[in-house]
Amino acid sequence: MKILKLPKEKLDLFASVVQQFGELHAPVEQDGKYVFKRLTRWSDARLEYDRTILPPKKYFLPPQESIFRYRPGEGFVPVTDGLDQRIILFGVHACDVYAMNILDRVFAGKYRDPYYQARRKNIAIIGIDCLPDKNCFCRSMRADFVDHGFDLFFYDTGDYYQALVGTALGDDMVQATGSVFEPMDAAEIDDYKRRSLNKRRAFQLDVEIRDLPEIFEMEYESELWDELGDKCLSCGSCSMVCPTCYCYDVSDDVELGSRAGDRTRSWDSCLFYDHALVGSGENFRGPRASRIKFRFYHKQRGFVAEYGRPSCVGCGRCSNACPVGIDVVQVIDRLRRVEDVASR
Amino acid sequence: MSKPTVGIFGLTGCAGDQLVILNCEDRLLDLVALVDIRDFLMASSDNQTECALDIALVEGAVLTKKDADALRAIRKRAKLLVALGSCAVWGGIPAMDRGMDRGPMLEEVYGDAGAGYDSQAAQALHEVVTVDLNITGCPIEKEHFISAIASLLNGDAPLYPKYPVCTECRMRENNCLLIERGLPCCGPITVAGCNARCPELRVPCIGCRGPIGDANPASLLAVMEEKGYNREEIVNRLRMFAPQGAPQ
Repeated sequence: MKILKLPKEKLDLFASVVQQFGELHAPVEQDGKYVFKRLTRWSDARLEYDRTILPPKKYFLPPQESIFRYRPGEGFVPVTDGLDQRIILFGVHACDVYAMNILDRVFAGKYRDPYYQARRKNIAIIGIDCLPDKNCFCRSMRADFVDHGFDLFFYDTGDYYQALVGTALGDDMVQATGSVFEPMDAAEIDDYKRRSLNKRRAFQLDVEIRDLPEIFEMEYESELWDELGDKCLSCGSCSMVCPTCYCYDVSDDVELGSRAGDRTRSWDSCLFYDHALVGSGENFRGPRASRIKFRFYHKQRGFVAEYGRPSCVGCGRCSNACPVGIDVVQVIDRLRRVEDVASR
Repeated sequence: MSKPTVGIFGLTGCAGDQLVILNCEDRLLDLVALVDIRDFLMASSDNQTECALDIALVEGAVLTKKDADALRAIRKRAKLLVALGSCAVWGGIPAMDRGMDRGPMLEEVYGDAGAGYDSQAAQALHEVVTVDLNITGCPIEKEHFISAIASLLNGDAPLYPKYPVCTECRMRENNCLLIERGLPCCGPITVAGCNARCPELRVPCIGCRGPIGDANPASLLAVMEEKGYNREEIVNRLRMFAPQGAPQ
């Protein structure tokens, strides 16, 4: 890993040069919130932002996509339109980069998803450091820092950006910009350490994830799940905005007057009534309480068993997006609380 | 093989769903090439009013004895009966007055003549006859009508979203009108399929497609009350298109 610095006044130059590597997308403002969007002007980019409504997941696993066309006698033809499009996502926070690394384990591990993998290959990521707000708990989830999964990662230090070069492509971007990237000196290394400590101290939320799977295991019958079931609207908002929710549904859209059609996949959610409904009519998670419970168990316990860590990265999106205020940090705090157990 | 026979009917309603069918302009020739539309009063003056039908599509709610008789007659003629639009599926706007005393309402509108009118509380089709397929919406979506015909011709039932408008709204990455602006949006309990058309235009959802199968209106009502809305106002809003949409 190479660590360099980029003077702030050279960022515009870098942004214009880097477009030779792909179409530039970055957070832009939308009614006070932020969304990743294709930039029409570099000046629209907002590199100081809290969080985007949807995570970068939308670029790699779109909300809806056609995966293949089928036609009797011709079989299946994969839809590959746009898979080779080169995009640069500029301004991705560490938690969201971490989330992509988690999705890699799902879509590029034992089960390989060619659509996801093609996009992952063709979409470059330039990360940017951030400071936590009142809903961030990425540090607790060990996702406040990433050492891979990006091509470049920038730290805003005030006068310059400190740049971590993560890949050969990232290095190509640096080289293409010419001699504007410089090595760091000793004072700047101290600056980095100071900023790192300040960031650590800025977190207002703290969740202990050690032994959390065990606590979940023991609290399987907690009345909390019924309370959440009474509250939950099963609207799926938490899943849509989650950077690591990867469930999808597959359906066929048949053409009028033929047996040919399109097979599409779209985002799904374990909060939906029909998520665990099977052909016989049996529903393994019929009651709402069992569905919201499942979501927490899969994030905080099931994923740990399968992949060695929770799939939650602490981005705070689900708590922000829940119409009835179900808050993941409060749920975990409540499960950990001793008096609840004693009063049972 | 002869083409499947189809009838399209309207009970009490605004005829907007039949209009959606006629508005499928670029698909109409494909459609009539595949099905034989025998009875469609809104589009034709030359109808076969007695023939057997493979598919009957019925719009509107049942508000009169005449509606109920017409619907039963259609049911007898049809192999498959499809409820078209929120009135047919849920009772719709005419069902808003369910539970109210009908006599005084008739008198208020029609005076003394009201007492003799053929008028009853609105019912959805399934409350009168067996319904095989529901296509909800106020009005229905063109694509849902076309996909219903496409699927039925293959012997399949079409698939429509069962999740709420919020899901589509989030997929479109809209700002949340309920959370961020405190507007009384019915998106969390209203069945999707409209691609969040209203919230996309920053207009809160009024629930015109009816509730999702496992809607939790009590929880949504509690949230709206917290935001300062009057309980009655919200209950009325939730039941505007479907009496089933309001908390019990």
